[in-house]
Amino acid sequence: MSGQILGASFRDPSGFLFTRAGKLYRQVNQAYRLDYDLLLSSGLYKRLVSEGLLISHAVATVEPADPGPVYKIIAPEVLAFISYPYEWSFSQYKDAALVTLKIQKIALEYGMSLKDASAYNIQFHRGRPILIDTLSFEIYKEGKPWVAYRQFCQHFMAPLALMAYRDVRLNQLLRIYIDGIPLDLASCLLPRRALLNFGLLTHIFLHAKVQQKYADKAVEKSKSNVGMSKQAMLGLVESLESTVHRLKWKPAGTEWGNYYEITNYTDAAFVHKKQLVSEWMERIKPKTAWDLGANTGIFSRLASQAGGYTIAFDVDPAAVEQNYRQVKAERKPNMLPLVLDLTNPSPALGWHNRERRSLGERGPVDVVLALALIHHMAISNNVPFSQLAEFFYDMCHWLVIEFVPKSDSQVQKLLKSREDIFTQYAQGDFEEIFQERFDIREAVKLLESERYLYLMERRKDFQK
Amino acid sequence: MHYAPTLLASLPSLLAYLDPGTGSIIIQVIIAVLLGGGILLRTFWKKIFRKKSKPEDTTTESPSEDSSKSDQA
Repeated sequence: MSGQILGASFRDPSGFLFTRAGKLYRQVNQAYRLDYDLLLSSGLYKRLVSEGLLISHAVATVEPADPGPVYKIIAPEVLAFISYPYEWSFSQYKDAALVTLKIQKIALEYGMSLKDASAYNIQFHRGRPILIDTLSFEIYKEGKPWVAYRQFCQHFMAPLALMAYRDVRLNQLLRIYIDGIPLDLASCLLPRRALLNFGLLTHIFLHAKVQQKYADKAVEKSKSNVGMSKQAMLGLVESLESTVHRLKWKPAGTEWGNYYEITNYTDAAFVHKKQLVSEWMERIKPKTAWDLGANTGIFSRLASQAGGYTIAFDVDPAAVEQNYRQVKAERKPNMLPLVLDLTNPSPALGWHNRERRSLGERGPVDVVLALALIHHMAISNNVPFSQLAEFFYDMCHWLVIEFVPKSDSQVQKLLKSREDIFTQYAQGDFEEIFQERFDIREAVKLLESERYLYLMERRKDFQK
Repeated sequence: MHYAPTLLASLPSLLAYLDPGTGSIIIQVIIAVLLGGGILLRTFWKKIFRKKSKPEDTTTESPSEDSSKSDQA
């Protein structure tokens, strides 16, 4: 075999992804030949691609990675960033679920059906959720139930129900359960009032019970063909669709309109900060940017306006939710808001720890914005400046970082209830330590503020 | 769900690379049959309704409501 087969691409015998000379390819195996041919000849591929629901691809004329079972090699359109369901806000998750069901309904019109419904097969591409697995379709045989139903409920229905009915942070359970949240666990965690929702009652509670009852019984080969009619299959998909549609979430006691309107800056400092970030983004013209602690993405927008594909990370699901709603309304193609706790970033997960990549493995990027962030890391999480510098050095070429001094009201707030053990938390120490790894290109005191904004560039001569 | 064992024996062969789960197959067939019946009934009802309403009043016919939910994505 030649070429590097991707770590997540081993389950489905239909084919797999591999990279060669930095390019991404998908090998389609002979086992999938009939399904692949129907996907193309039926017009389903064309329809889904034209509606922005399926990633496009071109047939490639390269050597296969595994010549034995090969049918074709295709080169899929490349995504700017791979995100995971435990990094999505509520609406992102909901949109991903609805897109999966929409695709299934369209596929049925063309005599095909989804053979998997993994949340990991949906990615955000140009601001919209899209199916990235071209090999997810199979020829639909009337009477056959939906083989991906269990996976849909575990990957989409259970996390969304838990987020809506219990706590929006519960999609973090997907970090533990690689194949979606087990339905018996979801049933335990959901409040009793969820039983009143007919969709959840059937697709989660009853589903879990029946699963339990038939846990050790196999589906036998048929003697007759009394399965599910196409009409019945559509009924099932529509039921899932309307259940997902009705799931709603908003942060308790707030209205979206004024969420996060309050900032800690005077107008002058805020305008000055925006102006500096904007100027620097125009100067360095990043192709890729990460805004760490992006809040609702005010500064991330400046990076994306300069042309860079920007990920706006924040720990607060409500801020990410609001940002996503805005990105969606603006139809912004080069910005993706995601939930991330920087003190414990997404790890490498799954089989051999190679199925889902860690945050670091998905970097580095041209520029990292670390605005109003350093005090949260250095004081709330006790991370020394040296380790912060090391982290940023691994993540980016350019660094826009704001230094928030101890005298700042926000830092004082963090120190109010604890002993001040941070003797090294001073601007001099900060500059000295960061200069080991970065050259300071700009250092500007923000107007009407004690905070400083720095533009730093990774040092080529730094020896680890 | 007394009829579930009968259902189990009568299901078509499900050769899939993912385990579809026996319980998941049974519950979906039950739900789907009920809901699919609903769709049939709805289609039937609409046809009857149209047939009856057309000759009487063609000018005030309201556009039929699209039963499929529009996608938010």
